[in-house]
Amino acid sequence: MDYSKQINIVDYHRNLDQNVPISYKGPIDEKILQAIGSHIESILSDHPKAGKKIFKIFIELAQNISYYSAEKSIYKDKKEIGSGMVLIGETEESYSFVTGNLVRNEDILSIIDKSEIINSLDREELREYKREQRKLPKGPKGGAHIGLIMVALTSDNPLDIEVTPIDDDHSFFSIAVKIDK
Amino acid sequence: MENLEIEGSHKNFFIPTVSFNARTGICQISGESFLEDTVEFYLPLIDWVDEYINTVKGPIALIIKLSYFNTSSSRSLLDILNLLRDYEEAGGEVVVNWHFDENDIDMEEDIDDYIIDTGLEINKIPL
Repeated sequence: MDYSKQINIVDYHRNLDQNVPISYKGPIDEKILQAIGSHIESILSDHPKAGKKIFKIFIELAQNISYYSAEKSIYKDKKEIGSGMVLIGETEESYSFVTGNLVRNEDILSIIDKSEIINSLDREELREYKREQRKLPKGPKGGAHIGLIMVALTSDNPLDIEVTPIDDDHSFFSIAVKIDK
Repeated sequence: MENLEIEGSHKNFFIPTVSFNARTGICQISGESFLEDTVEFYLPLIDWVDEYINTVKGPIALIIKLSYFNTSSSRSLLDILNLLRDYEEAGGEVVVNWHFDENDIDMEEDIDDYIIDTGLEINKIPL
């Protein structure tokens, strides 16, 4: 009976080296959004201010994965749902919130560009950038083009972006933000 | 003109409670806003305000009491505020009261950004 070795859960556990109250990998549909969202609300009730921020950041980033991840799961009703990872880490002074998902290489440059612009701006400039972008015509799904800007404003820290090439067509894109307690 | 009433809920998504009154012109959006299809949800609200402005032509008071809204909701809220701004510029009587948790600095900042964006006088009411 060694079928448990097909998935190396011990490695997975060991690799989550800090205190990680929440980790999820898989398709992100509305039930998962709701389940993790309310878990965040309850687990972070000790730090309501940070908890609210993490909730807002979670919704924006998880919804991005759900809509735009290059890795899709097809449900029974033929609906395509994006897959990815969501992790929350905790230290004494802060929470870190990390998401990761596959992105098509042709889409990666625009995401990196936008993240670099965001990281180069101070808070006032970032608000101006938000106002500019929000005025643009709505994107697909009614998007306001300001998800990442809002994440940076809400966390009040720079976005930590990492891109790891996977194959000719895909990269793994991860974004980490720090939220002070 | 009919009133627009939507009962809010907090299940898989967060549907705000909407109460737009055609007789008094008092329009309230409260609760939380995070929807499966934001455009589909807000379109009837935008259409209602548009019809009120063009047929009833009375005073209108928008009261926002949202403790949370995601960024696509924020884009649709901008559409409503822009309609009110245009109405006010055309001589309509417009009041916007935005209630918010006084500890929620991000929310207050966002209201300020709507004021800059629209040029409307938005009354910030801390709770």
